[in-house]
Amino acid sequence: MTMLDDDRLAELFGRAAEAFEVPESGIDEILARAERGTTRGDADAGDEAGASALSGGLEADDGAGDTAMTDELTRRRRLVTVAGRHRILSVAVVAVVVLIAAGTIGAVVRSPSGPTLSSLRAVGEKGARPGGVAGPAASTTLPVLTPASPGPAFAPGAASPNSSSGTDARTGAQGQSAPALPPGAVGQEAKIEQTGTLELTVKKGDLTRTMTRLTNLAGSVGGFVANSQSQNGTGGGSAYGTISMEVPVNDFASVLKAAEQFGKTSNVSTNATDVTGQYVDLQARLTALEDSREQYLTILAKATSIGDILSVQEQLDSIQQQIEQLQGQLQLLTSQTSYSKVTVTINEGTPPPHPGPLPESGLVQAWHDSVGGFVAGVEGLVRLAGPLLFALLCLVLAAVGGRLLWRRYQRHRL
Amino acid sequence: MVEAQLAEWLEEGYVPSFRTACLILGNRSDAEEAVQEAFLRAWRFRDSLTDVPSIRPWLYRVVVNSCYSKLRQEIPHRDRRAGDEPLSHVAADGAGPEASAERGEVADTVLAALARLPLSLRVPVVLRYYADLSERDIARAIGRRQGTVKSRLHEARRRLAADPALSALATFGDGKDGAGDGDGDAVAGEEARS
Repeated sequence: MTMLDDDRLAELFGRAAEAFEVPESGIDEILARAERGTTRGDADAGDEAGASALSGGLEADDGAGDTAMTDELTRRRRLVTVAGRHRILSVAVVAVVVLIAAGTIGAVVRSPSGPTLSSLRAVGEKGARPGGVAGPAASTTLPVLTPASPGPAFAPGAASPNSSSGTDARTGAQGQSAPALPPGAVGQEAKIEQTGTLELTVKKGDLTRTMTRLTNLAGSVGGFVANSQSQNGTGGGSAYGTISMEVPVNDFASVLKAAEQFGKTSNVSTNATDVTGQYVDLQARLTALEDSREQYLTILAKATSIGDILSVQEQLDSIQQQIEQLQGQLQLLTSQTSYSKVTVTINEGTPPPHPGPLPESGLVQAWHDSVGGFVAGVEGLVRLAGPLLFALLCLVLAAVGGRLLWRRYQRHRL
Repeated sequence: MVEAQLAEWLEEGYVPSFRTACLILGNRSDAEEAVQEAFLRAWRFRDSLTDVPSIRPWLYRVVVNSCYSKLRQEIPHRDRRAGDEPLSHVAADGAGPEASAERGEVADTVLAALARLPLSLRVPVVLRYYADLSERDIARAIGRRQGTVKSRLHEARRRLAADPALSALATFGDGKDGAGDGDGDAVAGEEARS
């Protein structure tokens, strides 16, 4: 720099500064105010800037200077002034306090015994079992329905429980009042219909041998083969066969287990249906009809006219017919609960594709999709609420920190 | 710290502090208020002056921070008043109209050049070339490292040299005033050194 060297610059600055007239009484007024001790208002006005301007030693003296400042009104006014100067900071502090208070209140108000989303979902999953009974947990559980343990005593009012892909069967018995039981129903042994399905994959050429072994297995436990069907692998397809066995209910589990050993098991399902209620109902109706028949027989013995005799005889025939129908149903139930049906599908090589569930109609599917979408939306909102609250808190903290850093940066930049 | 001694220092430092504030703020009334607040604050914290190694940088630091407060808090939020024109109170030292006009022109040019500098450069250059503080004292006064002060001074000089009006004034002053007119820096230097 040739023209503006340091001396020239100092000269120009000096001449420019001289253009400002110095207040004549400036320093005298300052000293007078300082000595009179009337500096409080001025010092307070510039206290904030002074705190950053002066060294740490000076800041330490701030408390001593404020010792006389005990007036509550002045303090409040000062607080309001500071809050007004730092509006963003004040809003941020208030927001953080409100969030913390809301969180605390929420944590306190939330009942620990109330149902939570996870518990509801867990209940829903339990209730959504195929064939199961939705609602609260069953009060009675039928353990493994093996012949050795035929199950507990009669559960009144139990719905027909079904279980699949497992050996447990849960009843849907609830804590509701049971209907009046017919005489002799108490202590009635549970009548359970059991069916099982098994898919086996055997080596090529073992189809016939496996079906023979299964037939022998059924015969060895006192059962029989109700249906059998096989097809050779013509036209390039693999051979497969199906065999339905009726085995005594006591041997159901052992037969199923033994059959699993005959090949590679790809799918096992069991189904148990409690028909105890139906059985008891049939028995009760049968007993009542038998009582009616006895009464009609008594009337018939006392009848004198032909018309009366014919009329009573007609009623007796009707009752007798109903009795025989009920007896037939009882025998069928007894047979079904005495024998369990085991259906084994045997494939050579790869098993055929498992047929999926039947497609629902468009309207039903749309309704299910709609309900599912609504529930998913609500769950998503609830799930998002927590992270959003956290993000909001982080934003507030970031805003506060950024504000402080910005102020500091501005101060340093000066 | 003895109050009488501080009072003496304040009395001696009032004029250079006031004019330093004028050059930083570019406004007489603002500078007067800033220096008043600074001195009252200095008086308030007089007890801690025993820890201060040197009174001059400390006093300038208080003044500079008071100017910062003015620029940051008050001036941006108020309307410009008619009486706040930068040179509304040009010193009348008995010189003739021509001399006053020339002085006003110099002051206008310098203040305009300073106003174009950012505050981070304006303060060091004023402290250096008007208050005659060393780089070390400037670093104390603005609370920055000495290397930072050096680089800021370099940048400020570069910008001022690139200012056409100021360069023209320097060229014109070289021819007209010569070396004999050293009132400005002589006064400032003496005031500062005092």
